[in-house]
Amino acid sequence: MTKKLSRKHFLAGAAPIVVAAPIARLGWQQNAEAAAPSATHLGHDDHHAKMGHAAMVGEMAPSIDRSVAIDKLLVPPKALPHQPGRVRAHELVAVDKVIEVAKGVTFPAWTYNGTAPGPVIRATEDDVLRVKFTNRGSHPHTIHFHGIHPSSMDGVFEIVEPGGSFAYEFNARPYGMHLYHCHATPLKKHIHKGLYGAFIVDPKQPRKPAQELVMVMNGFDTDGDGENNFYAVNGPAFYYARYPIVVQRSQTVRIYLANLTEFDPINSFHLHGEFFRYYPTGSSDQFEYTDTVMLCQGQRGIIEIDFHNKGLFMFHAHQSEFAELGWMGYFNVVD
Amino acid sequence: MESGSIAATGFLGRFRLWSLIPLALLAAVVLAFAAGGDSLTGLVRDNPPAADQFDIRRVEFHPGKIEIRVTNPQPDDLTIGTVTVDDAIVSYELDGPATLGRLRSSTIVVPFEWVKDEPISVGVTSSTGIQTTTDITAAVETPTASARSFLGYGLIGLMVGVIPIALGLLWLPSLRRAAPQWLAAFMALTGGLLAFLALEALGEALDLQAALPGALGGPGLVLLGASISYLTLTFISHRFSAAEGSGGVVSGVALATLVAIGIGLHNFGEGLAIGSSFALGELALGAFLIVGFMVHNVTEGLGIATPIAEGGRVASLARLATLAIVAGAPAILGAWLGGFLTSDVLGVVFFAAAAGAALEVVVEVGRYVARRAPGGLTSGYVMGGFLTGVTVMYATGLLVG
Repeated sequence: MTKKLSRKHFLAGAAPIVVAAPIARLGWQQNAEAAAPSATHLGHDDHHAKMGHAAMVGEMAPSIDRSVAIDKLLVPPKALPHQPGRVRAHELVAVDKVIEVAKGVTFPAWTYNGTAPGPVIRATEDDVLRVKFTNRGSHPHTIHFHGIHPSSMDGVFEIVEPGGSFAYEFNARPYGMHLYHCHATPLKKHIHKGLYGAFIVDPKQPRKPAQELVMVMNGFDTDGDGENNFYAVNGPAFYYARYPIVVQRSQTVRIYLANLTEFDPINSFHLHGEFFRYYPTGSSDQFEYTDTVMLCQGQRGIIEIDFHNKGLFMFHAHQSEFAELGWMGYFNVVD
Repeated sequence: MESGSIAATGFLGRFRLWSLIPLALLAAVVLAFAAGGDSLTGLVRDNPPAADQFDIRRVEFHPGKIEIRVTNPQPDDLTIGTVTVDDAIVSYELDGPATLGRLRSSTIVVPFEWVKDEPISVGVTSSTGIQTTTDITAAVETPTASARSFLGYGLIGLMVGVIPIALGLLWLPSLRRAAPQWLAAFMALTGGLLAFLALEALGEALDLQAALPGALGGPGLVLLGASISYLTLTFISHRFSAAEGSGGVVSGVALATLVAIGIGLHNFGEGLAIGSSFALGELALGAFLIVGFMVHNVTEGLGIATPIAEGGRVASLARLATLAIVAGAPAILGAWLGGFLTSDVLGVVFFAAAAGAALEVVVEVGRYVARRAPGGLTSGYVMGGFLTGVTVMYATGLLVG
């Protein structure tokens, strides 16, 4: 915009904001007083001061009400010992569901079993994984697992029409942290609508005991402009800021981390006040000792943390934008 | 006598009764349609979903907080979900309801340490996930209603409204000495500058209404405002001419008063625009711009002085001061309103009223010139004067551009 604004342009520029009679204002204030249970008392400056971003924890963090379904996503099923040929059966149902992705904001999602991400699927190496998939959604869907499996079980060619079903069956391998998602086209749409989840394959030699958590990084483009409006792990924005994850200092914390954020090529995980071991894809003993990891779309790994200190430790995407749009939470480390 | 009044009552009674029938039938049709729900439109297809975009009317910056006034411009209810500042979710409090009915508003109060003079964007996301954002070029503290800011806006209005017009009136003595054909030229010049103001105000009114939510706007609102002022001034001018017994032509101080009213309405709109733009940090109101408005508006004083000179009668100093206030003081009122309050509908109505009033006065001046001036409307002095009036307004307008 030029500095030299013409009289006409300046007046036109004032268009959206010109001016009122006291009557209009009076009417509005009366409306406000009459209508609003949510209207709060203004002018309490000390209260305002507490509401800044730095203090976004607990009740100050805007997130959805506590949800059993969301809480279930954080904790994976127990690992089972190695036993070749054992059948691990799961049932996944694709359903269209309006979910709350941030405090007061809903999104018409496509889900596996009603949540985005879907349920955690877990097997031990050499288990026979049997996943019965039923499509109760309004569009054709599939399940495409990462890992090693036959072409006919890849979830690319066997499109399941609404009302149809399909049984995926293959041996679980290799061990590591994997993922699954719908591979019907258009791919971007089917993934960002919510059809994805974590798929853990445990090694023959069990991992050492730990407090295990699953975090699937995701985003929601609620207004369809090809950019995410909200970011989070396991669904709703700021969920673990409002409800910090309680962990024991004496025990290793193991996080199965996957990035299923659509639209943005990368996402990241950063932990405050601590370092952790990061095993890319969780498929070997190789690790990096760091406090920040970066994951491309579909990339995943395993994080192991041995907390040195008690207290609240923030974790979030180190892309500040993602953090401030919901991808931020806390560990509450206790003895 | 008696039978006549009975007949009148009977006629009126029957007339009223018949007039109710279409209304009753309309109500019945409306009820039937409403009871049918979407079945009628459903014959064609489903209605598209609501846009769920908010109308962000005003963003104010105060120490440690941002206030965002939002309106629901659509028929369906709209609920405020999350609020973002610079694409980050922020905590907020509401002064008003979270769920807004049609054309209802709320003010969102966000505790926020904004950075002075830097660009900032605010966004409001509906409960359905639709985000509406607005970009502010530079965050500047919004003045609050205080004795100091009240005085400030008053002085701005005084500078751009009253003073230049008072200065323009000082041309009166020289105009009195002018030859009749030159006076006619200046009358035509007055007509030219008023025609310029009328067109300009009409343009502003149309631009403003286009920015209103659909339900409130519409060129019809502009027609309403313009008609009200045009007809009011026509009524006043007829009273003036009747009082003078001048056969329908208004002249002298009476015509000057009409000119002053037309100019006053225009200056009210100008004050509104200056006040609100300045308050919201959209306008750098430097000395140059104020001087520009003053030079631009001095011409308006000339427009008021000319009919007085034509009339030949002596006008008292008090009368002249009154005219200057009628024409200039609305700029002060406008600056106050624009600085502290918000209503786009009134902005449209006032600019439209200014257009109607200025147009009416152009008509009055035209009739006057046609009857009284040597050579009437076709004299070269008159044509030249009119074109000069338009040119002078355009040229001095460049000072504020």
